[in-house]
Amino acid sequence: MFFKNMKLLVVFMFFVLGTVNAVAQDEAGVSAKQVVDKFQTDLISIMKDGKKLGYSGRYEKLAEPVTNSHDLTKIARIVVGKEGEKLSEEQQQKLVDVFSRLSIASYAHNFKDYSGESFVFDSEEETTRGGVVVHSHLVIPDDKPVKFDYMLKEKGNSWRIINIIANGVSDLALKRSEYTSILEREGFDALINKINEKIESYSKQ
Amino acid sequence: MSMKTINNEKGIMKLSLFYFGLFFCIFIVNSAVAEDTESQQVVTNKSDPYESFNRKMFRFNDSFDDYLAEPVANGYKWITPKFMQTGVSNFFNNLENINVVINDVLQAKFSQSAEDTGRFAINSTLGLLGLVDVAKDLGLEQNQEDFDQTFAVWGVPQGSYLVLPIFGPSTARGIPAAVFDAAANPATYAGVHLKWLSIMGSAQPIAAVAMIDKRANADGALKFIDEAALDPYVFTRESFLQWRNNLATDGKSEASLDLEDLGDQSLDGNKRSGSAQSLQNDSGKKSGFTLRLEADSKSFSKASQSFDSAAQSFVTSTKAYEEAGKKLDTFNASKKKRRKIKD
Repeated sequence: MFFKNMKLLVVFMFFVLGTVNAVAQDEAGVSAKQVVDKFQTDLISIMKDGKKLGYSGRYEKLAEPVTNSHDLTKIARIVVGKEGEKLSEEQQQKLVDVFSRLSIASYAHNFKDYSGESFVFDSEEETTRGGVVVHSHLVIPDDKPVKFDYMLKEKGNSWRIINIIANGVSDLALKRSEYTSILEREGFDALINKINEKIESYSKQ
Repeated sequence: MSMKTINNEKGIMKLSLFYFGLFFCIFIVNSAVAEDTESQQVVTNKSDPYESFNRKMFRFNDSFDDYLAEPVANGYKWITPKFMQTGVSNFFNNLENINVVINDVLQAKFSQSAEDTGRFAINSTLGLLGLVDVAKDLGLEQNQEDFDQTFAVWGVPQGSYLVLPIFGPSTARGIPAAVFDAAANPATYAGVHLKWLSIMGSAQPIAAVAMIDKRANADGALKFIDEAALDPYVFTRESFLQWRNNLATDGKSEASLDLEDLGDQSLDGNKRSGSAQSLQNDSGKKSGFTLRLEADSKSFSKASQSFDSAAQSFVTSTKAYEEAGKKLDTFNASKKKRRKIKD
């Protein structure tokens, strides 16, 4: 009798602990590394079907993984820098829309087929300002590996990529220089037109 | 083309290694900068004070590439079998290893210098004078070291970004460094003795082949810029400066990670974390190298500016000569007048 009760108790305890654990994990959300892992896995699997899917197929399949792992609103805000303050609410929204489409389009264009590539996780570190950097590299058969460092920031109870540094070249810094320069020299409409032209040319190749 | 293009990005930069006849270029740059500082635009980047001049040079190089370099490189790729192209690239890369070893030593990377010496020895013998990259299969990767990186390690700041005619992107520190690089590369001298090999009537056939080879290798990278850049000039500048910075710090520089500062809306417009200048100011205390650089940078900051100011003083002195010339002319004219009056 005692043992039976004990057994029940243990089962009950496990059950309770299990739920608590599950709840706790839910509260902690997804870690930065998990976000990067999932995105890289999605990317590789889309690359594998790349040829079959074609550009539009890849675009459609990538839309969700990209928007779920990247903080595109924040990136769009950062890349226009101080110039962003001069933009109206409507313009800012337009920029975020166009920029999001560009981000997905460039993935769809650049990761179009598969020839044995794989991502390897190296390390993870916290930065002084509460961000996390996930260091990884892409192994390419018969070629030098490419270092991919992802900079993530916390958003809600999850993490989002805000910058990718490929072989030491920061995508965010590059875009920021380009976008602020175009805004200063040619204005907002020119920037939007240029981004749209890029999306157009990505879709054609 | 797939994402391999990303890896090719270093190819663009190789263009900047077309370092022959450099002094001539410096003079062109200096005189052109003279005209340009006056029409300086409002838009300035800290690391690119000569932007409007650089943009003009960039456009010139672009059309030079369209009309000459690209057709020549494509022709070369078309008529040369792939294995020969690889052989040619390997041959020149192997010669560059002499410079790599020198710079390993100058940067106190002694174990790497031993590896690179071994690499050069193996490829020069087993690799048939460097035509075959045997060392790579033995696990000895090609390292990239040059005088620009050595100067960076010694604490010389990068200085202003400059686009040279034909040679492409460089910096105030990169130009003198390139002269040393060229001096330490046998390919620079080889042509003198091999005039009979002369292709295209060039007095430096080996140098010409090296340049065509580099342009052919950079093809993927240049196409990537065309595809990805909204503003190809800014794209090239930023990726060049970041790439050089990454090489100089052997990838340890966290400067590019400092972008998280950008996330805060304190966004100060002058700060371009991407460009290498932020290296001295705010890159982490993580690596001893950076610390050392910070310490040294003060003592060396004058050195970097000295090149810029040398350029400036050249400009002012040419102006002074011009004015002096004008004064002489007017003086002579008035003398003649006086004589005429006397007569």
